[in-house]
This record gives sequence, C-alpha cells and structure tokens, in this order.
Amino acid sequence: MTILLLALVLGLAVYTVSTKDLLHGIIALSAISLLSALLFYLLDAPDVAITEAAVGAGVSAVIFIGVIRYTERRDTSE
Amino acid sequence: MKPGTRWTQFWTVLSFAALAAVLVPVFVIDAPWPAAARDYVEAQGVREIGSYNLVSAVYLGYRIFDTVGEIIVLIASVIGTVAVFSAAGAVLAEGYEIDLRNMSDREKQEIMDDSSFTLPGEKRHTHALRTHLLEVVTGVLGPVVVLFGFYIMVYGHSSPGGGFQGGVIIASGIVFLALGNRMESSTMLTRPPVLERIESAAFLVLALASFGGMFTGTGFFGDFLKEFALYPAGFMMIMKVSIGLIVGAGIGYLCIAMVGREIT
Repeated sequence: MTILLLALVLGLAVYTVSTKDLLHGIIALSAISLLSALLFYLLDAPDVAITEAAVGAGVSAVIFIGVIRYTERRDTSE
Repeated sequence: MKPGTRWTQFWTVLSFAALAAVLVPVFVIDAPWPAAARDYVEAQGVREIGSYNLVSAVYLGYRIFDTVGEIIVLIASVIGTVAVFSAAGAVLAEGYEIDLRNMSDREKQEIMDDSSFTLPGEKRHTHALRTHLLEVVTGVLGPVVVLFGFYIMVYGHSSPGGGFQGGVIIASGIVFLALGNRMESSTMLTRPPVLERIESAAFLVLALASFGGMFTGTGFFGDFLKEFALYPAGFMMIMKVSIGLIVGAGIGYLCIAMVGREIT
C-alpha cells in the first residue's frame, strides 16, 4: 500500500513538473498532498496528516490559483 | 543541443550523488535510533504538560519557543503579502466583483453564455462567473468546516490535532465561506478588518500568557496555571486556542487576498 502510494506520488510529481498547463499542475499538486496525507495516516501520524491535507490540498491550491488569475495559465517558456 | 545543457546535466547528477551520499548511510547503518528524548516525553509528557497527545505536548509545551518562532514567520508573511498587494493597487475584496451596471448588453450576454451552469440572473449580479454548484457546496460546507476546525483546535490535547492543525482547517472554512453564497447570508469572518483584529487579539493573548510564568516562578512561557491545578492542560489550552486563531485568521486573510478582486 505504501509502495503504491509512493509510486502515485512520484508519477504525479513528474507530471506536475513537466506539464505546460499550470492549472493541471496545481490539481496534480493537490492530489499529491492528499495522497501524502493518506500516507502519513497509514504511518500513524494523524497530526501531520491533518496539516498536510488542509495546507497542501486546500490552502496552497487556493493561493496558487489566485496567482494564476493574476498571471497566465500557460507556461510559455521553452 | 543548447550550450550549457551538459553542465546542467553535470550539476544535476552531482546534486543527486551528494544527496545519496548523505541519505544512504542513514538507511544502511545499524546504529540504534536516539531514544532518550522520546522515552522522556513518553514517560513525563502527561504529568508535566497534561496532554495525552504527545505531539501536542512537544510543540506546545517543551518546544513552545519553536512554535512561537513559526507564528512570527507566519505573521511576517501576512504583513509582507498585504504590503505587496497594497503597493500593487489591489483591493482586498470580498470575492469576484464584476460590475454589470457599466457593461453593455452584449458583454452581459457573453458572460451568461460563458457560464451556463449558474444561478438565476437576479441572484448573481455580484459574481456572474461563479457556478451554482460551487456556491451551494461551499456555502453549506463552510460553517461545518469552521466548526470542525474549532473541534480539532480545542481537543488537541487528547486527540490528534492542536493549534496549527485546527488553524489551517479554520482557514479552509473561511475560504469556503468567502467562495460561498454571500448574497443571502453574509458573514463577518470573510472581511479583512475582522480577520486582522482576530489575529492581533490572539497574538496579544499569546504574548501576555507568555509573561504569566514570570510571576509564578516558572519562567518565560512557563505554565503559570499549574499551581492552581484547575485543569491539567490549562496553559496549553490558552496556547492552542490563540495559536489556532492566529493561524486561521492569518492564512484565511492570505487566501481572501488571493481570491479577491483583480489588480486594478
């Protein structure tokens, strides 16, 4: 179970870095945080799991989406 | 291939090798894990701090200085964000505000075509681009999430949770309330001045409580309620609630600043 979660986190992380659509990257980042929260819970750290779920999946995604609203959605750099 | 790519690859490989050189011995060597601090907290945490959740006992009791440092970092980041936003001319607004009065009929029709899954027209003249689904779900869930955050915050000494955890959940609830339906039910919690006052008052309580130990001989950030023995986790409760309110109001403020109006 832990190996599966870690593999999913790794795949989503590679997708987050490589994608050109920043909104998709943010959604993948939130998914990483949710999976990490599940991982922390399985490793008997519920305090960290609560923090990771609330900060990573909720608050930081809101702030990143706010940044996208002020800038651009596409990554135009080569 | 561009010039410099080979150097980039070289530095990437080198940094991974350095990381491996640091991390591999940690997993390979068979030294016993340092257990003195862990055993001490496990044996004395409930008696000294009054907390059955030993994680909270560490970061709200034994290591309260670290926690206060993090709180100061958070407050500094909130101040910096507000300074940047005010210098950029943005308005700390209460959600998306699209002024439909100054628009032509064709622009209004474009907005309505863009947002087919929205509220009826008479209910959405302040936030025309928001969908019905988002409004209803966040508006209903917001108060529940805030209540859950207060539960996590207040019961942090006996169940998983504590000041930071409850605070970030309260901040999520504030974001929900800010995104939710404000046409029918308006709440004070999404207004920046109210959040500022909550944050300042909570930090004042934290600072005053930190000096309380000086008068009872337990020192700075000492547990001055221990002598009275009314409630074993009394001092920790003050720390927890004030830290939770600081974190919740501060992060909620940041998010409301980000979902606010466009920079003009």
